[in-house]
Amino acid sequence: MVNLDEAEVSPRADNFVIENGKVRLRASKCGSCGAVFYPPRSICPGDGTSSMEDALLSSAGTVYTFTVARQSTPEFRTPYVLVYVDFPENVRVLLPFDGSEPPSIGGKVEIVMANGPRQENDELISMPHAKLGL
Amino acid sequence: MEDVYVLGIGMTPFGKHPDKSPADLGAQAVNLALSDAGVGRGDIGAAWVGHVFQGMAMGQRALYAAGISGIPIDNVENACSSGSTAIWDAALALRAGAYDIVLALGVEHMTTAFRGALAPDPSDIEAQLGLTMPGIYAMRAQRYMLQYGVEPQDIARIAVKNKRNAAMNPLSHFKKAVTLEEVMQGRLIADPLRMHECAPISDGAAAVVMVTKSKLKQLGGSRAIKLAASSLRSGRTEVGLVDMTVEDLTWRTAEAAYEQAGVGPGEIDFAEVHDCFSIAEALRVEGMGLVPHGEYVARVGKGEMDLNGILPVNGSGGLLGKGHPLGATGVAQVVELVKQLRGDAGERQIENAKIGVAHCRGGKAQGVEGTACTVNILVA
Repeated sequence: MVNLDEAEVSPRADNFVIENGKVRLRASKCGSCGAVFYPPRSICPGDGTSSMEDALLSSAGTVYTFTVARQSTPEFRTPYVLVYVDFPENVRVLLPFDGSEPPSIGGKVEIVMANGPRQENDELISMPHAKLGL
Repeated sequence: MEDVYVLGIGMTPFGKHPDKSPADLGAQAVNLALSDAGVGRGDIGAAWVGHVFQGMAMGQRALYAAGISGIPIDNVENACSSGSTAIWDAALALRAGAYDIVLALGVEHMTTAFRGALAPDPSDIEAQLGLTMPGIYAMRAQRYMLQYGVEPQDIARIAVKNKRNAAMNPLSHFKKAVTLEEVMQGRLIADPLRMHECAPISDGAAAVVMVTKSKLKQLGGSRAIKLAASSLRSGRTEVGLVDMTVEDLTWRTAEAAYEQAGVGPGEIDFAEVHDCFSIAEALRVEGMGLVPHGEYVARVGKGEMDLNGILPVNGSGGLLGKGHPLGATGVAQVVELVKQLRGDAGERQIENAKIGVAHCRGGKAQGVEGTACTVNILVA
């Protein structure tokens, strides 16, 4: 189960589970208005109610938009590709893209684990990425 | 409710000021504004001071350097809209009758506070995933290009226009016009946005002295300009898959200002808008209902937003050309409107400028469409 208290206090970049080899982002769905939020919340940012339920996002989605970040803050190794992915659960999530060439808008992506773009002590961190679907 | 007027304006040159502290810059802007208004230090009833990265009690430090202390001083942080939020606060206090002469100051010494790309707060999940401010605007530009069929060089013309205007502004960070070829040969910062399409890291300060109508009658100043509207809104929670080329926050803020001022978008003669990136200017002007969605970039190409066009936008040079010391930006926009409406804008003077609008929108926080947005309307 998602530890909602932890997620609420400090939204973390590692809000995901790996299930049968598929990477799935952990989200919340409002039992009252039906809106889905990533990362998980205990109070609905849409209608303010506290009837949030755990939800796992699909392991694949569609590229809404993208860029290649060529300048960033020191924690990131440039250049890197960023995408906004639209999930079937009606929620949009920012993710780094696994690949040096950016995808096209509308491209199908799956969620995978890959290294970067964040680094600590010169080592790239493993985190969920979007990657062009097979 | 009392009507509110801007009586005095002051602004430092924007740019790199390695020899000046933020307090020095703030004091310089305050001194200029007081002298322009023709009021004394003892006349100021309260002050609001916008800044983002300047640390504790920036307002008190700057006003101390200007010889003002003891009065209520309120430090205001609202991302890039900090300075214009200070004006909103000051206007509320005047309208409520709490004071009759107040000061709004914005100050930022970016070159000592920041390096590289600006990003959302480090605790924000999108910042932890690598989102930068150029990154978010670049992604919105990608959608704009796809949805409205424009090319990167069409968007880049916004930077050409604003830097041409900045070259005529003695207080600008950049004083040199650039060609479209130069913009397109610039280094990519976040595709498709290139160096000249991103606001520079600038130091600077701007201040305004604001008064009530009854106080203005007593003082008898003829150079005062009416602040017909000042509105502030925050971004709504984003639910579902929204169109990132449409600024609901900008529209709601502008709509409130139009209602307050009793003017419609069709009556606006000129605008200063928050062009932190080239594409941002298109999103804002369309968001305010001044141009239909998807048409702005093509109209810039036709010269409609030039100083002699049908709707001059960012005649000061905007953030791209004049510079973007975050806290000072929103106050500097109002300073420019006052100069234009007084007929004091020199080479940049817009003919028959009677109603001007300043739009300032800043910051990024995961989950909401935008953080803070202000719209100020000034009428000659």
